[in-house]
Amino acid sequence: MEVIVRAAGLKKYYGKGEALVKALDGVDLEIERGKFTAIIGTSGSGKSTLLNMLGGLDVPSEGSVRIGKQELAKLTSEQATIFRRKQIGFIFQNYNLIPVLTVWENIIFPITLDGRKPDQKFIMEIVQLLGLQNKLDSLPGNLSGGQQQRVAIARALAAKPSIILADEPTGNLDSRTSDDVIGLLKVTSDQFHQTIVMITHNPDIAARADRVIRIEDGKIVTGKEAAR
Amino acid sequence: MNFRPITVLNKRTFRLNRGRNLVTALAIVLTTLMFTTLFVLSQSMCANLIEMTFRQTGYDAQVSFKNITEEQAEKIAAHPDAAEVGQSIVAGLGQGKALTGRQVEIRFADETYAAHSFAKPVTGRMPQTVDEIALDNIVLDKLGIPHEVGQCVTLEWVADYAQEETNVSEFTLCGFWEGNESSYASMAWVSREFADNAAADQDDTGAASSRIAGIHMAQVTLYSDRNIEGVMDKILEDTGLTGLEYGVNLAYDPDMNRMASQENLPMYLGMILVFVAGYLIIYNIFQISVTEDIQFYGKLKTLGTTARQLKKLLYGQAGRLCLLGIPAGLLLGYLLGMVLVPVWIQTEGARAAASPVIFIGSAAFAAVTVLISCMRPARMAGKVSPMEALRYNDVQRGGRLTKRRSGSAGLPALAWSNLGRNRKRTVTVICSLTLGLTLMSVFYAKNAAFDMDKYLEELMLSDFQIDQATSEEYVKGYDPYGATLNAQLLAQVEEAAGLEGIGYEYSHETEVSLSEQTIANIQAFYTEEVLADWAAYDPTGPGSIQEAVDEKSAGAVVYGLDGIALDAYTAQKHVLAGNYDAAQFATGEYVIAAGLAVEKEEGQILPTVSVGDGIEIEGQTYTVMAVLDNFNVITQGAKEGGIESGNQDRHYLEFIMPLKTFRTRWPQNTPRKLFFNVEDAHLDDVQEMLDRYSAESQESLPLTTRASKAAQYRRESRASAVMGNVISIVIALVGVLNFVNSMVTSIVSRRKEFAMMQSVGMTKPQLCKLLVWEGIDYAWITLVCTYVISSLAVGIGVRAMVEGGFTTFRFTLLPLVLCTPLLLLFALLVPWLCFRNLEKDSLVERLRAA
Repeated sequence: MEVIVRAAGLKKYYGKGEALVKALDGVDLEIERGKFTAIIGTSGSGKSTLLNMLGGLDVPSEGSVRIGKQELAKLTSEQATIFRRKQIGFIFQNYNLIPVLTVWENIIFPITLDGRKPDQKFIMEIVQLLGLQNKLDSLPGNLSGGQQQRVAIARALAAKPSIILADEPTGNLDSRTSDDVIGLLKVTSDQFHQTIVMITHNPDIAARADRVIRIEDGKIVTGKEAAR
Repeated sequence: MNFRPITVLNKRTFRLNRGRNLVTALAIVLTTLMFTTLFVLSQSMCANLIEMTFRQTGYDAQVSFKNITEEQAEKIAAHPDAAEVGQSIVAGLGQGKALTGRQVEIRFADETYAAHSFAKPVTGRMPQTVDEIALDNIVLDKLGIPHEVGQCVTLEWVADYAQEETNVSEFTLCGFWEGNESSYASMAWVSREFADNAAADQDDTGAASSRIAGIHMAQVTLYSDRNIEGVMDKILEDTGLTGLEYGVNLAYDPDMNRMASQENLPMYLGMILVFVAGYLIIYNIFQISVTEDIQFYGKLKTLGTTARQLKKLLYGQAGRLCLLGIPAGLLLGYLLGMVLVPVWIQTEGARAAASPVIFIGSAAFAAVTVLISCMRPARMAGKVSPMEALRYNDVQRGGRLTKRRSGSAGLPALAWSNLGRNRKRTVTVICSLTLGLTLMSVFYAKNAAFDMDKYLEELMLSDFQIDQATSEEYVKGYDPYGATLNAQLLAQVEEAAGLEGIGYEYSHETEVSLSEQTIANIQAFYTEEVLADWAAYDPTGPGSIQEAVDEKSAGAVVYGLDGIALDAYTAQKHVLAGNYDAAQFATGEYVIAAGLAVEKEEGQILPTVSVGDGIEIEGQTYTVMAVLDNFNVITQGAKEGGIESGNQDRHYLEFIMPLKTFRTRWPQNTPRKLFFNVEDAHLDDVQEMLDRYSAESQESLPLTTRASKAAQYRRESRASAVMGNVISIVIALVGVLNFVNSMVTSIVSRRKEFAMMQSVGMTKPQLCKLLVWEGIDYAWITLVCTYVISSLAVGIGVRAMVEGGFTTFRFTLLPLVLCTPLLLLFALLVPWLCFRNLEKDSLVERLRAA
């Protein structure tokens, strides 16, 4: 299988002396194309930090992240921004939808920022799949949490990124809606052969991924293939 | 579907922030308003200055010919580079007691000439038949003729200066217009026929130089104001008239522009201040709004919005606000300008200029101010880290807070540390307020430093001063035998109730020969270098000095002074050299040399006779007792003999002798100036008495009073006072707006923090107190800064500024003292009002609010 993300020797330290916090302490990781990977760990284990490093949102103290052929550390901040909107889709715990834009506008926002024309047919396919076709003209404020997260998923998918990074996508949702959302993530991963890396602290949710990586105190503990 | 993300975001987020936008727009309106007002004033000043010069020179064409033939004028008119040529023929000069103080030129003129000479009839028309005349209202009023076409006008006039008998002619008034007060002469238009007759009839036995009838004049209007002499020379060359003498209108002199820009210096200073004030508030507002929206920007960045796009978003917001604020500011500023122009520019009929430069310039300045104000906030927005969006609340701020608190700290200490949380904002607001308040103090102190008594001392030496009517008659010359100050009037004044002191000034002109010593003095003072500098802008003065030195003789004005006039002039402060001894002077064997416009300096050689020299005046020798400086009240006035005598440009020495001596030597001379003081209680009576005299004798008395001079000064100085106050008040307002905005936003943006505090047990009154304490902290820091800076600015800056001149420096911070309670009130009121608004939402709502 082709490796799409490769992290090597990733370290992230905050503070100094006694107050030194080792958020990441030497992480080596490879993510394969088309797989749905879950990173699981307790609160403060460093899983969010890892995800931010993978998405180029945060800069490691040491080590490197490579997405496709691109070494992230070699990008300027502005180049990283552009790389992100082309290659990486984000799904956040608090959805991060833009409240003044309609659902449709939110979905196509990163694409249009890049000056590209949205692929209408492809996006409508996603919208159908996520059941948002009747909500396209609504503002995010009028949607339920589950619906908002589906919009975020649609937005992440719309740009056809190399990888989607999801940070506790179900953190703000009740268990039924969470199930739905994870189901949708799984379906889209399969249907569009989309690589997804998802963070969660919930082992039940993690269990539905193709692969589960456990992280504890900034280090990877296990990285076993889940049974299909 | 063409979705442009930044444009759409721009539009939609704009609508979200109504309150903030309102404040920003208001700041932009105020900034634009001030720029526009300053532009209107400076433009009007330039326009008015040029208009004034036109009126003073009496015409607005570029070139004038004082002596030309009709054929020559026609040739020039036919040249393609000449836009218009107006022609005029002199018939004579108006005479008679009624016209005293005004030169009335009786002339034929074509429509063009009249139009370019500010003398085109507004009512009626130009004369056509030989018995018609067109006059301005000044002459009509002097002659006592109603402003009505068809009135009969009887005019005494001469065609020759030297003419003994005056001619008397009767005309019918065919047109009139508003006279040009800025010029010493009025035009009286007659028909061509009348002018031609006058020229043909005049007696040609006298000297040709005094004959004026028949002189043909022309004015040439060109297409452009550039290179007037070059164009005119070319016209003359093309028409074969090279060498024909012409004059270029002074108003087109390049020096005029330089003068205008100097006059406008305070305006440029004002613009810089406006820029600073505008920057401080607009920068602060954008800085606050970017800080508030930092999460939003972080979110956008995570989704792939580049720094460029974020900046574009912010500039887009600024642009929208400019589109709202600038036009409103332009309109209001122009209106304010229209109100201020007549106050600022004293001249009659000064109007606000309406050139597009004003609007384009003000709009550009305001836009640039906004742009510069946005630069730092925009950079901050662009540089936002995407991690910012992931931070759900700012825990860090709270952390710093607890660290700063000492164990038993109460609300005041908490408020104090809250202020330190955003030092940049605190500093900006304090700068903004301090700027306005300091300016206010400075302007006030500067105006308060003016000392009317000192000012009047320079301009007046008595409560009342009456001049002989021809004292300032530079064209026809001073008449030493004039009858304005006649026995009847003098008797009335001397008998006036409450008279405290009186003094006379007589004057006589003569010739003195210059001793070797005097010539040496003159040459030591007017060195080649001094003369060359002088000649660079006015060759007449140095020329006349050279002439006096070469001929070893100069003109002399001898003044006879007594009473308060003599006492005032011989006061120690006027003495440049020697010592004045009243008793010795009264013997009549001494004179005092006077009228030197030099500063008092030890050991300086003065360009006149030396103290102790003998000076022979018309056969009698006097000893020079002292040398006095120039005291305009005494020495200002015309020389005898009109323009044609050349006396007005001659070099003169001036001497003073006791009036008694003067009267014995020149008994025919009549008083030139009369000075007298009256007890305060009788000021009005005397004024009434003089008014009555003036009405009875049908002669306007050239009267100046202390009261009228003081009133005149107040009128003239109102301009700068109003200007300074308006600017500083608007800047102070901007400061207050900045203060209120900062208070409000800092409270509103901490809603969640306050809710958190309440949830852990802070009571409402405690919270309210906390906010009020913050306001008070703001206020007192501002006040301390303002008091310190204003004290320095007033104590050092204003003191130096008003040094010399008619001022007495007094240290005052009155405006600041008045503003102190106001500022404290704001500091209490704003937090309290904000708190009441906060209270409307429930605790949970506020806790949950993002």
